[in-house]
Amino acid sequence: MKKTATILSIETSCDETAVALVRGEKTTKGYNLIVEENLVHSQIPVHRKTGGVVPEVAAREHAVRLPHLLDQLSKRIPKQELRKRVDAVAVTAGPGLMTSLLVGVEVAKTIALAWEKPIIPVNHLEGHIYANLLQVNLQNQKSKVISQTTEGKTQMTRTSARGGSVFDEKTQNYFKFPLLVLIVSGGHTELVLMKRHLNYELLGSTRDDAAGEAFDKTAKLLGLPYPGGPVLSRLAMHGNPHAVLFPRPMLDHKDLAFSFSGLKTSVSRYLQLHKHINKADVAASIEEAIVATLVGKTLQAVRQRSPAGVIIAGGVSANRVLRTRLQTELRKTAPAVTFLKPELRYATDNAAMIGAAGVVRYLNNKTTSPISFVVNPHLPLR
Amino acid sequence: MRYTKTKRQNTKTYRLQSLAATEKLAEEIAGTLKGGEVIGLTGELGAGKTTFVQALARALNIKDLVKSPTFTILQVYSPERSKQPRLCHVDVYRLSNTEELAALGLYDYLSKPDTVTVIEWAEKIKKALPATTLWLTFSLFPKRTVQTKQQP
Repeated sequence: MKKTATILSIETSCDETAVALVRGEKTTKGYNLIVEENLVHSQIPVHRKTGGVVPEVAAREHAVRLPHLLDQLSKRIPKQELRKRVDAVAVTAGPGLMTSLLVGVEVAKTIALAWEKPIIPVNHLEGHIYANLLQVNLQNQKSKVISQTTEGKTQMTRTSARGGSVFDEKTQNYFKFPLLVLIVSGGHTELVLMKRHLNYELLGSTRDDAAGEAFDKTAKLLGLPYPGGPVLSRLAMHGNPHAVLFPRPMLDHKDLAFSFSGLKTSVSRYLQLHKHINKADVAASIEEAIVATLVGKTLQAVRQRSPAGVIIAGGVSANRVLRTRLQTELRKTAPAVTFLKPELRYATDNAAMIGAAGVVRYLNNKTTSPISFVVNPHLPLR
Repeated sequence: MRYTKTKRQNTKTYRLQSLAATEKLAEEIAGTLKGGEVIGLTGELGAGKTTFVQALARALNIKDLVKSPTFTILQVYSPERSKQPRLCHVDVYRLSNTEELAALGLYDYLSKPDTVTVIEWAEKIKKALPATTLWLTFSLFPKRTVQTKQQP
């Protein structure tokens, strides 16, 4: 059976174009992973004008940027060497924006066909989950902005491991099963239970808006610029989280569903009724309502399912308050549970996480032929 | 349940004081749908557009959970019994122009006889919608209301 793998990975599901090279090995403890190269091109400045991702614009940007990223990669590692070392090509197959997904998938298929390699379709959310296994080793990793256009419109960052880096079991994170996963992003809010690697049981999800969407839309109500969520969180650092009591829906329900749409209505009403507000206080109170709901539901799931480990995954896992609150609350109420959170650089969309999931899939013989798979904008986790 | 109607020309205004009132309105509208209709929803963030679509889906015998499609923009739901129309739920909040609708595949569903299309933030793509579109305008202030409007 195969024990090691080197995976070339591509991610284009939303507004980041990304390419990575990830190496991994399987041991009795789990998977050891090293991110050799990690290139991310963010489209956030492009979408600031329209106040959000415009699908057609995003897809065109991916089509322009992806060849540049692959070119950057081949400057670091010559194509012939890459071809020899890569075992398979992993790519995000969904969920995401159809036209954006297609760009990455077609490029991945082309490389796989030309190099005669198998392909690994990866669920974007599975990528976010496996981002928890990626470490940032300050000793041998350097990250820098390698190109910025004159108008400051686009930005590309590269992280790379210095040559000769070896797997390090001392700093490697391992999943403890059963593992409870809180997935929080702009499009998803779900609690998932994993009994083993690549196995997912959906415990509950949002009934309406995702947590990231709640952040972005309430930020818009407050008149904050795109991307609203992170801007709201920065403003919240200077505010009183208990200034306004916004609703924490579903917390008294036994089931593990979320609902965030009422928060918009409640914020909108508050702003209508109060002409002179302290924006920082309102921002902090909104963040508090969202975080309290996410943490409360996660603790409820811990009580119901007694997992050995808990992790957070997805773009909103970069939220400072959520990361620390969940950690503190778990330490208080379930000290035996191992808590993991992704490194900030791997919390938002990137290709290294797709490579991480790709390594695990490859070492479990879950590959496919480049001809037979299609993208699915609503791909479920399974 | 309080549920009041006022009629003026081809517009009607409903007070929506509770979820039950939204459900009643959704049932009333669902009763008139055969497939091929387009419903345009307008109203600010938090005014109740997605909540209405959820109620409409239930009234159309759709068992799936209807969520906000802001991220994926378009989502299609099929009813329990195949004779009833499908529901195509669209949210054009993030779109900037009507050219993008083709790329989204909206025209695979819009006005198709087996599909009811309901669009949030529909005023953004008014040009692309049929004249027979049923318009629902949701307001939160001063009272929670919805105004329906359709060309006779």
